Amino acid sequence: MGAPFDFTFVLDFFPKLASTLGVTLFIVAGSLLVGMIVGIVIALPRLYRIPVLSTCSKVYVSFFRGTPILIQLFLFYYGLPEILQLVQLDLSKAHVLVFVILTYGLHTGAFMSEIIRASVTAVDRGQVEAAYALGMKGHQAFILIVAPQALGVAVPVFANTVIALLKDTSLAFTIGVMEMTGKAQTLGSITQHFIEAYIALAVIYLCISITLQKLLQLAELRLLKHELPDSRDDRGSRDSGDTEDNTARKTFRIQKKRIYTRTAGSMRTEKGGAKL
Amino acid sequence: MIKLTNISKSFGRNQVLKSINLTVEKGQVVVILGPSGSGKTTLLRCVNYLEKPNDGEIMIGDYSLKCKHAAKKDIHALREKSAMVFQQYNLFKHKTALENVMEGLVIVKKLPREEARARSVALLKKVGLAGKLDAYPSQLSGGQQQRVGIARALALEPEVILFDEPTSALDPELVGEVLAVIRKIAKEGITMIVVTHEMSFARDVANHAVFMDGGIIVEEGPPAELFNRPREERTRQFLKRITPELNYHI
Repeated sequence: MGAPFDFTFVLDFFPKLASTLGVTLFIVAGSLLVGMIVGIVIALPRLYRIPVLSTCSKVYVSFFRGTPILIQLFLFYYGLPEILQLVQLDLSKAHVLVFVILTYGLHTGAFMSEIIRASVTAVDRGQVEAAYALGMKGHQAFILIVAPQALGVAVPVFANTVIALLKDTSLAFTIGVMEMTGKAQTLGSITQHFIEAYIALAVIYLCISITLQKLLQLAELRLLKHELPDSRDDRGSRDSGDTEDNTARKTFRIQKKRIYTRTAGSMRTEKGGAKL
Repeated sequence: MIKLTNISKSFGRNQVLKSINLTVEKGQVVVILGPSGSGKTTLLRCVNYLEKPNDGEIMIGDYSLKCKHAAKKDIHALREKSAMVFQQYNLFKHKTALENVMEGLVIVKKLPREEARARSVALLKKVGLAGKLDAYPSQLSGGQQQRVGIARALALEPEVILFDEPTSALDPELVGEVLAVIRKIAKEGITMIVVTHEMSFARDVANHAVFMDGGIIVEEGPPAELFNRPREERTRQFLKRITPELNYHI
């Protein structure tokens, strides 16, 4: 089966696969955007405990969390046009990427809504009370006090969702999208060097994952800078010392926070939650 | 002047406040004492509507609010008349000490940033934290955090500052520094309502003491009198338990 292993093909495939990197990243970015909006819309009824709508949110989340993304992709790609045909809407000309981004967006939205809900609830009630006591209005308290703190809590879990999404986009090739995995398939069939194509593919995914992880880690450190011990402070210097593994200790301090554990614990493991 | 009329509050079937009446004159320091569960914290939180009273009327300065038909903007107007210092400090965790004090001035009072900054720095100096302007709450000790909390409340120049057990969460050795600051601002004639368990502080600083139990005001009067010659048996029991060294049979 296939041609004998030849490493030069791996190197040869890199630029060819990288040429479709744009499509993959476009799917990731588009889905994140859709997911963010959907996530907020889905999270709000549960945060404000609106009777009927919050049940709808729960059903929505359990559907998208409880079914494989591949099935969702098929349902939307093959099923949606059929249903819309009943109301005289013709989707047969729509670009395949529309379906892909829609599916991944709705899927990510379910997870986003859980992240939003968990991190907003994780912000101490006393923070809102303090804001009200100062005379702030509801929306001011939310935007100025709750949201920035919730964001800091959300970033680590958000990072994992983004990386999971990046990897999930590889399934889009099943409905004929020429993104990186699709391209690797094609290259493999043409040259009969499947293994080499997949090695190159894995390396590229890994590189993007690591880059995203690093970027989001920076964002996390920035957003949680108020939780870091101050080395000038006498209390701080006792904990942190002035060794070069300071950053590692700082990160550890953040991850130690109960607030983080609570959020991570409420997520499913494969989407970035922690096993507790 | 603050006047609470017939304030009632229930949590479900449990009536926590039973038609409370209380008047606080301008410049007075009122301490509210009582065992836990007596409703003293709930009463304090009703004054700025962090708890919604079921019935009654709240008057702060020239603003008065009937609790039964309170609209959002009325509640907001009432809250602008007071400031609160919390048991758990409740400093904004993502803001520095200076930003914590400035926040109310910039967002609520709409002061220009420069002016808000100058005022906040002066207030932090006053509570002895001139060197900690840029520290985050997590980098401050409990006593320091609570002093920032007091500066934040002072910044708004409210009609009244509400203190909800301001020293209960502190290590015993840090209580002194916070009480010293409260004592200092009490002398400046700022109206204060203080829920506290610090009896000696209550005796020294307050002009008026209120003893609550079971959702009613059992007894109130000048602290010297309430502490030394309590009229009610319940007050006597409470004081005996809390300050055994006090001898009030003169």
